[in-house]
Amino acid sequence: MKTLSLFNQTFTLGGIHFLLLVNRTQMHYFILIMPVYLVHSYMVWGIVALGLLSQLNLMMLCKWFTSSYAKRGYQGIVQLFGKRTVQVFAIFGFLIILLKISIITLGYVEMLHNFIYPSMNKKWLIFFILSISLFVASHGMEKTLRFVVIAFFCGAWILIMFIPFFFPPIANYRDLYPLIPTEWSGQSWQGLLFIWSAFSGPVYLVFMVPWLSSNQKISKYLVIGNMLTIIEYSLLFIATVLFYGSNFLNKINFPVVYMGRYIQTSGLERIDYILISFHMFNYVFDISILLLCFYGAGRVFMKKMNARTTRIGLLSSWFVILISIIIMDQWLWQTVPGQKMLLNIQIWLGAIIYLLVPTILFTVVKRKESM
Amino acid sequence: MIPYKHYGLLAIVSLMWIVGCSSPYVENNMIEEIAPVVFWSIDKGTEGKFKISTLVPPLIKEKKRFLSKEVDLLKQGGKEFNLIYYRELKQGQLRMLLINEELAKEGGIEKLINTILVDPDISMRVYLLIVRGDFDEYIKNQLTKQENQDYFLYRMLKHYEEHNQGEMSIVNIHQFMKMLYSPLKDPIVPVFHADKNNFNYVGTAFFRNDKEVMVTQDVSDEIFQLLDNDHFLKVLAIPKLSISLGRVRSNIRMKLSSDYSSLSLHVGLKGRIEEYQGEKNIQSEEPLEHLIHEIEVYLEEQTSELLKSMQRLKVDPLEVGTHSLKPFSKELTEEQWLKYWGNMKINVDFDIKIQPLINVERLS
Repeated sequence: MKTLSLFNQTFTLGGIHFLLLVNRTQMHYFILIMPVYLVHSYMVWGIVALGLLSQLNLMMLCKWFTSSYAKRGYQGIVQLFGKRTVQVFAIFGFLIILLKISIITLGYVEMLHNFIYPSMNKKWLIFFILSISLFVASHGMEKTLRFVVIAFFCGAWILIMFIPFFFPPIANYRDLYPLIPTEWSGQSWQGLLFIWSAFSGPVYLVFMVPWLSSNQKISKYLVIGNMLTIIEYSLLFIATVLFYGSNFLNKINFPVVYMGRYIQTSGLERIDYILISFHMFNYVFDISILLLCFYGAGRVFMKKMNARTTRIGLLSSWFVILISIIIMDQWLWQTVPGQKMLLNIQIWLGAIIYLLVPTILFTVVKRKESM
Repeated sequence: MIPYKHYGLLAIVSLMWIVGCSSPYVENNMIEEIAPVVFWSIDKGTEGKFKISTLVPPLIKEKKRFLSKEVDLLKQGGKEFNLIYYRELKQGQLRMLLINEELAKEGGIEKLINTILVDPDISMRVYLLIVRGDFDEYIKNQLTKQENQDYFLYRMLKHYEEHNQGEMSIVNIHQFMKMLYSPLKDPIVPVFHADKNNFNYVGTAFFRNDKEVMVTQDVSDEIFQLLDNDHFLKVLAIPKLSISLGRVRSNIRMKLSSDYSSLSLHVGLKGRIEEYQGEKNIQSEEPLEHLIHEIEVYLEEQTSELLKSMQRLKVDPLEVGTHSLKPFSKELTEEQWLKYWGNMKINVDFDIKIQPLINVERLS
């Protein structure tokens, strides 16, 4: 039998992959529930403003991508921070990734459960989606990263389906007024935090640098990828506001999917089935990337960086995730406060990480380079 | 020994087998065992109950049956139908929700609609109708006369919904809910009249706080179609002036004064004269001009009357309130708007441009 080599590196992926990676990692579960958090039409400026801030953040990350440390992968990080600190980071990362995978999966599974398989036991759905992700991840980091192309082409076209919502009869452009916030509440702040957190996907690219080319032109692709996300976010958001109006919007749990249900053609009626199914590629990609990161983080803090990757290792990290998701589902996700708490934790964590990681990497690289 | 590359296949087969045994799919649908329903009709029953009814099975060569039950809850009704019929009723094809006018006047139809709306099996494009009279009797009577009456009814609504044909107000449950929740809009629903032999369109019902408050009929409904719903009418018949205008397209301009004390409504109508039974010689220019002026005055009067009755009842289905929204200022609350709306001065101005179908003699 062949041995499993998950983290081998045979070639580097170019700028286009970078672009797609940035874009796809930002389009996960959060985008589907985002309109509920934003509600007011003027929050579209929040998307734009935080998107531009995220641009800045990506430029900082770019410094890291192009530094000489990044190319050396794990060794580079150790050089920067020292072995102890990296281990501590890995433990944190381990937990954070675990939480993120769990919440993404639970969110998607809930949607599947709601719309397609209401009578099915959720655990089966969790099992299936994780199994597919395991299958993708078992092909190694390189192929998983390449999977982003499939995820992109299976996911990006969905946006086109929402274009009809911009035109009457349901759309009334006066629904978008007022364009500037006339009152500001705690909910609005939370909305902004939510957007920032939704943008946080590319943080995980930090650990994939060895597979990505690190020439100087990377920044251009990062920026375009992020721009694409801003456009996608704001188009979807404006479409939902036009479709529901602000007051009805915050009563809906999956606004984007419900809109998908509204699309109807004479041949096919339940377009949402197709949309949800295609969206799965994105989740599978997201989960498998995170699964590999999770395994990697586990190896770091168990000090097994020099050992070979094993099937047992990958499988056991997969099991840890599966068990954690099932436990979370059982104890927290099924109750409203529990679900809210999990989402809030994820929002805060995502936001904090997206703030800290690029800044820390940027300053450390800068300092080391000047030394 | 199984070859190595067949492991995957084996895994899939055994997985399917396992899945088959423990069956994560609880609901099994055999096509022979299900009966999709096309409509629910909801009426007031005794002691605060609902009387709901439907027709099964649609579009199958089998004698149709009319089912009716008195229940406390809508979904309970669906369940009870299952228990008295040999197939399982499926609501995936539900297309129409007919609500009795008595119930609509009482209010609380939001809850009924919400029940339908949150069910992912049911499309959000379920048409909403208010029925005056006894729909059950009509459909029971039609059972013997015409097959698939339920389906034809749906086709009729679909026909008028698509491309804004401009005869009826057609509303689906999503549109209703969106309007209901928007502070500056009020929902509308078409009203139909049913008796033993007929089921015909009456007009448009205006809702306020989830209650039917008024129904426009005949001319005022036609004006409503021009003002808001479709901005198009195939035929605008004005019996009082013995004239029918055809293919009328309207162009509406609303202008609110800055203190919301007056509204000027300008309606541009374009169409053609398709019928004239009056005394005037409309082949010459002057009487024609005169007639057009008469039409303008007549429509202006009718429109003002319609708007006044809306103001009296404080309902705003024309979404006039949304004109108060501005990009850079705070939106009015519902109460504020209704206060303004109730006391607003309204100037209606019609501008009609019509073509006679025959040549008009020119004055030389």
